[in-house]
Amino acid sequence: MSTVLVVTPILIAHWPVMAAAISAAVGACGFTLVQEAVAVTANQSQGESTGTTREVIEVEESEIMGSTAGTGETMVVERDGVRATFSRDPRGGLRICMEGKGVSKSHLRALGEELLGRVTQQYAYHRIMTELKSRNMTVVGEEMTEQQSVKIRVRNW
Amino acid sequence: MAREEFEIEVDRQGNVTIRTIGIKGPACVDAAENLARIIGRQESSQLTPEYYENSVDQNSHVDIRHNH
Repeated sequence: MSTVLVVTPILIAHWPVMAAAISAAVGACGFTLVQEAVAVTANQSQGESTGTTREVIEVEESEIMGSTAGTGETMVVERDGVRATFSRDPRGGLRICMEGKGVSKSHLRALGEELLGRVTQQYAYHRIMTELKSRNMTVVGEEMTEQQSVKIRVRNW
Repeated sequence: MAREEFEIEVDRQGNVTIRTIGIKGPACVDAAENLARIIGRQESSQLTPEYYENSVDQNSHVDIRHNH
């Protein structure tokens, strides 16, 4: 080997691409998709009045492009009474609102960061594969490691 | 076109590690950086002895950390 680079992905995508990454990632964390932006808004209001704990993660290095008034740009997933709402925040970045009863804010943050990691992993994987395809590179090996990393080996001959 | 081979690892936090294989000299850095640029922000790079095979005769490792 001759050089090793470590890169932190920056999430820049239109909502459908982000939604695809979220859909692919949540299963790996044991969450299931709930959906419906309208229903979420109602539940959030209800949650505030019944003492639900909430923790918001705004992803600094993210940009959701081409938004049109936020319509439909929300995804909701749940696991064991904890709900995660992915949406586009006012600055155009990705926002994850974690909510649950009887759980601490730190626990919600840890779950949210785990989810965000998996979403970033899916985003990076698809970004890389799209780029490699455009360069006509051939994937000669792909595996999921025990640590849940995706390892890809590619060449251009 | 030059022969390029990469091993790319995406961990569960989304961090990406790109390793070039069999690309000697400065071309390996260019090839890896071109790929890194489309993914995000480069956090660190490490040159291995193979880097120097077609350039400077040197066997040390170089660590470069970028603080943003």
